[in-house]
Amino acid sequence: MSQRRGARMIAMATLVVMVGLLLVLVNASPNPSENADSPLLGQPAPAIETTTLDNKQFNLARRKGSWVVLNFFNSTCVPCRNEHPLLLEFAATEALATDKAELYTVINDDSDEAVAAYFQTFGGDWPKLRDQNGSIAISFGIAKVPETWIIDPNGYVRLRIAGQLSDGLLEEQLSALRSSFG
Amino acid sequence: MMITKSKVKQPTVWVVMLIIVGLLLAVGASRDGGPRTQQERVDAISKRLACPTCQGESVYVSRASASVSLREEIARQVGSGTRSDDQIVAYVEQRFGGQVLLVPRSSGLDALVWALPVAALICALVGLISAFRRWKVSATAEISDAERELVQKALDDF
Repeated sequence: MSQRRGARMIAMATLVVMVGLLLVLVNASPNPSENADSPLLGQPAPAIETTTLDNKQFNLARRKGSWVVLNFFNSTCVPCRNEHPLLLEFAATEALATDKAELYTVINDDSDEAVAAYFQTFGGDWPKLRDQNGSIAISFGIAKVPETWIIDPNGYVRLRIAGQLSDGLLEEQLSALRSSFG
Repeated sequence: MMITKSKVKQPTVWVVMLIIVGLLLAVGASRDGGPRTQQERVDAISKRLACPTCQGESVYVSRASASVSLREEIARQVGSGTRSDDQIVAYVEQRFGGQVLLVPRSSGLDALVWALPVAALICALVGLISAFRRWKVSATAEISDAERELVQKALDDF
């Protein structure tokens, strides 16, 4: 009799656990935001010291005081090519802004020649940063391109957008960040 | 020295054997293999990290460009000599997040991965011991007169 009661108790406990797990799964919703998570958000941006395609020195620490947008790019990646017109639009809009954000392309696993040829064909006169050995990509935890990051004027990482940009997303997010942290 | 069948049944023999096995395991686990080369360190660290762009591969085996870059970064950090293996793994984790770790952490919620199997083993052992005891008790239980009579009747019929 007591054995039967024990078995019933175990069955009930198992059922409760299973129902609990089911409820957790049913209530779990995927993150609807287009912004990706990163342990770097809210942290000081990793140091970047490199050269641009036109052989000028670049040091991210010296860009404090401006909003900085880093776009990790590869000329053979289709989403990177797809979002390029949006970046051209963004750069044109920011050029007219009073506190304009600085846009930089970070070359990811690509040759100088290929990137130069791409920008010559499709436009975009903002600086392109070399990433020797992929160290900039690793310091930002980039696994796949394209990725777009926004760094505030104090040098803190504020936003990561993983994947292809959608129309108006970058402008919208930067505007929200400006009102929160600007 | 020969261990007779009766000696094997004694619990002290088992306890001694368990202590010897435990000691041998402890010596084996703590044995210093000597100083490692930089390449050995790079290999050991990259085996602890998952390839960020592929499924089920470590940075050590993956040929994806992200893994190649990570191996180069690990080699740079090992070469600089300023960080321990754990610190380099923590650096990568801070960038890529916890999903890059192939070996779960022993703190926080991840600790359940280590603790649950041990807890399950202990529960199973306790359950087995109590079951064995119950069976032993029922095996040595007194035979009632009715049961004795039943057996006798069956033997007579046979």
